[in-house]
Amino acid sequence: MAIRWSRWSPRIALVPALLVTAVAFVGSIGWTIYISLTTSRRFPDYEINWDEWLRQYERLFKDGAWATSLKNLVVLGLGSTLAIILGFILAAMIEKEKRGEGFFRTIFLYPLAVSLIVAGIVWRWMFNPSLGIENFLHELGWTSASFNWLAAPDTAMYGIILASIWHGSGFYMALMLAGLHSINGEIWSAARLDGVSVWRLYIEIIIPMMRFTFLTCAILLSLGVVKAYDIIVAMTNGGPGSSTWMPAYFTLNAYSGRSNIAYASAAAVIMLLITAAIFIPLVMVTAWRVRRREAIAK
Amino acid sequence: MTDILPLEPVRRTFRDYPKKPRKIRGSSIAILVFLTMCALFIAIPLYVIIVTSIKEMSQIIQGEIFSLPTKVTFEPWWKAWNEVCSGVQCEGVKVGFINSLMILFPSLVLSIGLSMVTGYALALWNIRWAGTFLFVLFTAAFVPFQIIMIPLIIMTGIIKVYGTIWGVAIVHAVLAMPLLTLIFRNYYKDIPNEIMSAALMDSGSFWRIFFEIILPMSGNILIVVLILQITSIWNDFIIGLYFGGIGTKPMTVILANSVITSRGEISYNVDMAAALLTAIPPLVIYFVLGKFFVQGITAGAIKG
Repeated sequence: MAIRWSRWSPRIALVPALLVTAVAFVGSIGWTIYISLTTSRRFPDYEINWDEWLRQYERLFKDGAWATSLKNLVVLGLGSTLAIILGFILAAMIEKEKRGEGFFRTIFLYPLAVSLIVAGIVWRWMFNPSLGIENFLHELGWTSASFNWLAAPDTAMYGIILASIWHGSGFYMALMLAGLHSINGEIWSAARLDGVSVWRLYIEIIIPMMRFTFLTCAILLSLGVVKAYDIIVAMTNGGPGSSTWMPAYFTLNAYSGRSNIAYASAAAVIMLLITAAIFIPLVMVTAWRVRRREAIAK
Repeated sequence: MTDILPLEPVRRTFRDYPKKPRKIRGSSIAILVFLTMCALFIAIPLYVIIVTSIKEMSQIIQGEIFSLPTKVTFEPWWKAWNEVCSGVQCEGVKVGFINSLMILFPSLVLSIGLSMVTGYALALWNIRWAGTFLFVLFTAAFVPFQIIMIPLIIMTGIIKVYGTIWGVAIVHAVLAMPLLTLIFRNYYKDIPNEIMSAALMDSGSFWRIFFEIILPMSGNILIVVLILQITSIWNDFIIGLYFGGIGTKPMTVILANSVITSRGEISYNVDMAAALLTAIPPLVIYFVLGKFFVQGITAGAIKG
């Protein structure tokens, strides 16, 4: 009896998780893809007109706001790479200069505990033209300084990039620190004995050794950028105009603003495709690392 | 300068050889200066939010964002807690605080309970398709929320929990399940085989082994996951916005409503006090249990 139960209990225990995966993930993704081919508006309508089943997608790629969203996706992605670079510099400096390690780590990581809504609200206040940092710089005597980025369509994204860097650099620093710790300590003394300069040591040895950490950071960053929503709502709410729309914002706006389920679903499917394009390299890198680790273990 | 220089090598061979003294060199100073500047950049928003929240509006409109309050007042805090409006409801962020707490507990129990048992079954019991299932979970952990949101709204509507605390809690649990399962599974898979076979010999059933051996061993990972979940549920906006009904919206949504969509005269000090009140619970956890917090964040990031 005990043996039979020990065979069946683990399978029974997995049923809830399997159900959740099948219904809430696999099934829901299938449903959304299906709905994106229909002409549903406020309520789901399950009929597909096969003559124009790509209608929503055609509409989507003619929509100027969607084009802006995709452009902003690239802009935010490229701009936020500064967070990775800053994260690496901070990690390398903390690792080298042990003094104050705990103190600096605590400061650099606290933004991670702050919700993006709160972060966005604070940054929006600091960007306030008449009472915020711009005014502060003017009073210091730098009267030409312009920090009113959120008010103009062509600079608003830079404001969001700045806040994203503020929020994210500590996270990349933590990942980079873990990467640096895993580097064999003898490299440092070997380099010192050979008289290799610090710059060359980092650029020619350390950074190539940490390429997986960099790649992981880049992929996590891209996935985060695709999801970016809260920070947009809190800082600009998409404005001025639709200049700071992002795919996640566009999708939710199509759902709750325009009440168009099919259109929102089509945008969500494109988001899924973008995520997949980023995610597949991650899977490949992970598999490759596991295989390499196993090879080393042998 | 010139008369000291020749002495240098002599001193070094003499005194420095046994033990290197820790001298502050130029490069160290440069590094520390740079790190301090970055720390200032990172710390500024926290400083601004605190200082603004205890200033009077008469001082704020003079535009000195970085100056200390000439007169410290906690009235903005009181107003933010009790009077701030979200839509037509003017009962302050305390409503959101209570809702967030009420969402937090069922979400934690559901998500951690489910993923702990699943992770345990997948890691330590012989299940042939465990690898495939883990891969599906790994994929699900990265799916953008938007692609499953509308069906989840419809489904929670069908089971009559949409707009309730339970609806929000269930969606949190569903969304966290893949990642948490992977974290638990990675932790349990390192449990030595001998322990499991000994437990099995001892006529241990699935649940007895779980409650008597596995659960007592899970202290560390439980704290890490608990902190990860508390902060991510507390800081969530999107689920609360789309699944919370009237009177069940979490604190972040109430905050966003009151600050972003408010009309009329803006009281920046009250806005900042409301934002600070929302940020305090996770910040306290971070400053008290920072080590576990960082472990949770990085465990969530690098699974493989």
